[in-house]
Amino acid sequence: MKDIGRIINEALEKIKNADVAALENIKTEYLGKNGVLTQILKSLSSRSIEDKKRIGSEANNAKSVIEVEIESKKENLKKALLDEKMREEKLDCSKSLYFPFSKGSFHPIIQTIQDINVVFKSLGFAVAEGPEIETEWYNFEALNIPESHPARDTQDTFYLEGMKALLRTHTSPGQIHVMEKHKPPIRVIVPGKVYRNEASDATHFSTFHQVEGLVVDENVTFADLKAVVSDFIRKFFGSDIGMRFRPSHFQFTEPSAEVDMQCVFCKGKGCRLCKSSGWIEVLGCGMVHPNVLKSVRYDCEKYTGYAFGLGVERITMFKRGIDDIRLLYENDLRFLKQF
Amino acid sequence: MKISYNLLKEFVDFELSPKDVASTLTSIGIEASVVSQGCGWTDVVTVKVLNVQKHPGADKLSLCGVSDGIKEYSIVCGAKNIASGQTVPLAKIGAVLPGNFEIKKSKIRGVDSQGMICSEKELGIKEESEGVFVLDEKTKIGLPLENVLEGMDSVLEIEITTNRGDCLSHLGIAREIGAKLRKVVSVPQVKVLKKLPVLNCVEIKSNLCKRYIGSVISGVKVGASPKWLADVLAKSGTRLINNIVDITNFVMIELGQPLHAFDITKLSSKKIIIREASDLEKITALDGKEYKLDSGMLVIADEQKPVAIAGVMGGEFSGVDGNTETIFLESAIFDAASIRKTSKKLNLSSDSSYRFERGLGWDIAELALWRAANLITEIAGGKQEALEDLHAIKYERTKIALRVERVSKILGYTVEENEIGEILRFLGIDLQPRGEVILCTIPSWRNDIKIEVDLIEEIARIKGYDGTPTSKTHADYAYTLNNSFLSAIIEEFRTRLNGLGFSEALNCSFLEIAELEKFGLKHYYKIANPISKENEVLRSSLLPGLFKNLTLNISQGAETVTLFEHGKIFAESGERKTFAAIMYGRVWHEWWKWTEQKISLKFDFYFGGGIIKNILPSEEFMIAENLTPSSYFHTGKTASILFRGKVIGRFGIVKPSLTSDIKDEVFYFEMDLEPVENICVKKTSFYKAYSKFPAVKRDVSVTADKSLQFAKIEEVIKNVAKSGGILKEYSLFSAYGDETKLGEGKIGYSFRLSYKNDEKTLSDKEVNDDVEVLLNKLDSDLGVKLRQ
Repeated sequence: MKDIGRIINEALEKIKNADVAALENIKTEYLGKNGVLTQILKSLSSRSIEDKKRIGSEANNAKSVIEVEIESKKENLKKALLDEKMREEKLDCSKSLYFPFSKGSFHPIIQTIQDINVVFKSLGFAVAEGPEIETEWYNFEALNIPESHPARDTQDTFYLEGMKALLRTHTSPGQIHVMEKHKPPIRVIVPGKVYRNEASDATHFSTFHQVEGLVVDENVTFADLKAVVSDFIRKFFGSDIGMRFRPSHFQFTEPSAEVDMQCVFCKGKGCRLCKSSGWIEVLGCGMVHPNVLKSVRYDCEKYTGYAFGLGVERITMFKRGIDDIRLLYENDLRFLKQF
Repeated sequence: MKISYNLLKEFVDFELSPKDVASTLTSIGIEASVVSQGCGWTDVVTVKVLNVQKHPGADKLSLCGVSDGIKEYSIVCGAKNIASGQTVPLAKIGAVLPGNFEIKKSKIRGVDSQGMICSEKELGIKEESEGVFVLDEKTKIGLPLENVLEGMDSVLEIEITTNRGDCLSHLGIAREIGAKLRKVVSVPQVKVLKKLPVLNCVEIKSNLCKRYIGSVISGVKVGASPKWLADVLAKSGTRLINNIVDITNFVMIELGQPLHAFDITKLSSKKIIIREASDLEKITALDGKEYKLDSGMLVIADEQKPVAIAGVMGGEFSGVDGNTETIFLESAIFDAASIRKTSKKLNLSSDSSYRFERGLGWDIAELALWRAANLITEIAGGKQEALEDLHAIKYERTKIALRVERVSKILGYTVEENEIGEILRFLGIDLQPRGEVILCTIPSWRNDIKIEVDLIEEIARIKGYDGTPTSKTHADYAYTLNNSFLSAIIEEFRTRLNGLGFSEALNCSFLEIAELEKFGLKHYYKIANPISKENEVLRSSLLPGLFKNLTLNISQGAETVTLFEHGKIFAESGERKTFAAIMYGRVWHEWWKWTEQKISLKFDFYFGGGIIKNILPSEEFMIAENLTPSSYFHTGKTASILFRGKVIGRFGIVKPSLTSDIKDEVFYFEMDLEPVENICVKKTSFYKAYSKFPAVKRDVSVTADKSLQFAKIEEVIKNVAKSGGILKEYSLFSAYGDETKLGEGKIGYSFRLSYKNDEKTLSDKEVNDDVEVLLNKLDSDLGVKLRQ
C-alpha cells in the first residue's frame, strides 16, 4: 500500500498538467468507486482501531485535498478557455458610431433662459412669469413711459383689434405685477416672450425673449446692482471676462446703466461680431424710478430697488455664434439637433 | 450726429486725443466713436530726435535715438536731413500708413528699428517730398501727429439717449466734457443789439408754441459760404445750400437750436401766425414734396397759407434763394411731443425735427438767434432791422432740493459734498446749500432733470460708473424655489421626450389667418396694426406652427421628425400655457446590424399614444376616448387626456385630408397646462419593497367581441392586480384579428401575467388557481373567454 503522502503528491502532480478530460480521469482514479483512496478506506476494515483512525483520517483528508485541487483546476481551465475565446472576439469599435436612434435636443433659447435662471436662483432670486397680452398701463404708464414718449409709437407695438390691449414689448410689466402682488423685500426674475412690430432681418424678429430682474427692499443701492450684475456676468460668461458699466437712459430706472462685456471672440481688440468696438452689450439696468414705485403705491422714500433686463436671443446668438435670429424660429432639425 | 474734434476744442480746452474723447464720452453715457481721423495714418506721434549716429553696417543710413517724452526709441533712418534736436513724426510699431502699409518690428542691416520716421510723402500729405517731415520745434512731443498739424481734424459719431437732446450740438458735447474734466466751457460771444425796434408782426395762436423769436434782416447778399463754414458743414454731413441757410445749419450743429430763415417778401402779408393747421391744408416743403396737413400739426403761416411746418421743414415757396434780400430769421421753442407726432404722421423727419422732438433749451433759443444774426450780417452783409420775442408761457428754471444723505442712500457709496457741488456746478446747475439740502436750479437746456434722483444720476454718471464701489452680493436672501407642479410637468415632458430623441421647437406666436383655418381652427386675437401678413393673428393652437416645421423638415429630406414645444396659445378663454408634440416618419433609422430583419416601424396612433402615456407624470392623468369631435384629428384615431376627470388634452393622427401630400401619418398631441397650474402637490413616488422571490409568468390568450372596448378588459385585470393578490403585472403582447380562426366579430388578445408572493416562492397550483379566477371574472363580466 502506497504511502498516502505520496499518493497526494502524485495526484497533485497529475492535476497540474491535466486538461478537462484528464481531470475527470484523475477524479475517477483517486476518488471514484474503485479509486485509490476509496480502496484504501475499504481495506481498513481489517486493521486495528488505531490504524483505522489514523489512516482513515489521512485518506479522507487526501480525498478532500485532491477534490479541491481538481475543482480549482477546472475553474482555472474554464477561465482560460473564456479568455482565449475573448481574445478572438475583437470588434471594430468604429462601427458603433451608427445607431438607429438619434438623440434629442433642447432649443438653444430655452437652454439660455434656464441657464440664466440657474445663475439667478443661486443669487437668491425667485422666478416669476407674467402675461403676454398686456394693457397700456402695465406695459407703459406704470413704468413711467408717458403717452408722448417715443417708445409709445404704435409702429413698434402690436395692438389687438377690438380691445384695449397690446402684446408686451418687454418683460418689464412683470415688475409691476410682482410688486402689486407682493410687499418688499422682492427679489425676482421674470423670463418670457416679448413682441415688437418690426420688419424681420438677421437681428430683428417680431417675437423674442427677455429676462427681467427686480429687487426692492430698504437700503438697496446702485452698488448692490453692480454687484449682482457683475456676479451674473462672471458666472454666466466666465470669471475672467472684462466688463464695463456705462450711463444710459431708460424711463423706468434712474440712474440707468448699460453693461458691456468684453468681446470674447477678439478679446476686446475689435472684430466683426462686436462691430470693432471690442465690447458687446449684455444688459440694461438701473435703480427703479420713484415713479414706478409710486405707481404700485410703494413708499419710495423707504424702499429703493434696482431692475435689469437681458435679451435672450442676443446672448444666445453671441454665445453660440448664430448670425441670423430667424434660424432660431425655423425649427429646421439640421439646426436644432446641434444643441 | 457728427462732431468735429477741432470745433469741439473751441468750446472747451482739453488735451485728449479724439479716441480718448470718444471713450470719455462713452463713459459718461454718450456713445461715441471716431469715424474719421482726417488723416491716412494711425499711431504716428511727435518725437524729439535726441541723437544721430552712423549706422554700423551701412554708410547711407543713420541710427537715431528719439523720445516721445516717456520712452526712447532706436530708429534706423535713411534721410539726409535728419538731425538731433528736430521734432519729427514717428510711425510706431503697429502704425498703419497710407496704402495700408503697416510698420513692423524690423532689422535693417543687422540693427533693430523700433519704427519709422516719416516723410510728408509717406504720410500722404504731399505728392512729393524730400527727407523726413521736420515739424515746428515748438511742437509738443508725444502727441498724435494729426492733433498738431493744421487742418487735420477727426470726426466723432455720437449717439445720444432719447432724453439728452441737449447733447445734439458741439456746445452740448463740450459741456459734457467740461463737466467730466472740470473745465469751464466757453460759449460763443454774441453782439446783442439792444435798441432794435420791435417787429410787431408775429402772433402765436396755439399753445404748442412756447417761445417765438423772429428777426428781420434786410440787404443780405445770398451766395456761397466761406470755406471755413463749408468745411465744418461738410464734416457734419450737412448739404450746402447758400450762405444764409448754411449759417442756420451751422448754428444748429454748434449750439443745438434749429433755426429757420425764409424770404419774407414772398409772403402774402407781413403778418406771421403760428397756429395749428386746418384739416384740408397742404404745403409743398423744401424737399419739393407736397404734404397734407391736419389739425394738431403746428404751422408758421402768413394770413393765407402755411409758410413752414413748424420745427419740421420750411415751405418751398418762401425759401431763401439767390434773389433774396430780406430774410426772416426764426428761433423758437415748440412742443416736443407735437413735433414728434407731426413728423411721424407726415413720415418726414429732419435734423430740425430730430432736435425739437428731444426738447430744447429756453435760453439757447435766444443765444442762437443772435449768433446767427451776427454771422449773417458778418458774412452776407445786410442789417438787422427788427426783432420780436414772444413768450407764450412764463418760463422758470426747475428747482430741485437735493438731500446729500440721499445720494449715498441710492448709490451705496459716499460722495463728498464738495465733489457733489463741483460736478453739479460744472453741469451748469446753480447751487444754494441749505443745511442738509442743496437747492439746485437746473439750466434751461437740461429739461431731462426733473426730480432729485435725476441729480443723483448726474453725480454717478460724471463720477463714472466703473470706478465706484461694488457691494458684496447678498447671500442671506432665502432661495425661493419655483416649485409649481406645472413647471415640474413641463420639465418632465421636456426631459422625457428629449431622451426619446425629440427636439425642442420654438415658434413665433403669430400666424396668418389661413394657416389656422386650414386646420379648422378659429382665431380670437387679431393684431390691429400688423406690418406683414405673417403677423395677422395670435395662434390659438401650437399645431399650425409645428406642422409648418414638419413640412419644412420633410422638404429638407428628414425621414423622422419628432418635435415638441411649450408656449402660450391665445384661446377663447385667454392666453394659455400649452404643451404639444408632433411625430412623423420612421421610429428607427436604418441600421447596419438590422439588415437581415428590416425594421421599419412608423409613428402611428398606438406608438405615439404609447409615448404620450409614458411621459404623463402621474396616474391623475388618464387616457380616454375622445368624445368631442375635433377639427383636425382623424375621427377614428384620436384620444383625450383627462386630468381629475376633465379633458385637458388630445392626441391622435392628423386628418388624412390635411396630410395628403405627406407620405406617412402625422401624430399630434396638445395639452392645456393651465388646469394643472398652482396644484403644488407633485406626487412623490414612495419606494415600495419588492418581492425577493421569483415571479411566475403565464401567457393567456382570450377572445372577445370586437365591439368590446379593450379598456374594459384591461380594467378587470387592473382591478385584480390592484386588489393586493399575487397578480402584480400584466401586459398586452399580441392582438389578433383573424375572424376566420376566431369566429365572426371576434378579436383575440394575449396577455402576459406576472405573479409574485412577497413571502415565498409560488407553487404552480397557486398561480393556476389565480389565473382561473381571473378568467372566470372576464367571462362572467364581459363574456371574454379563454381561446381554445
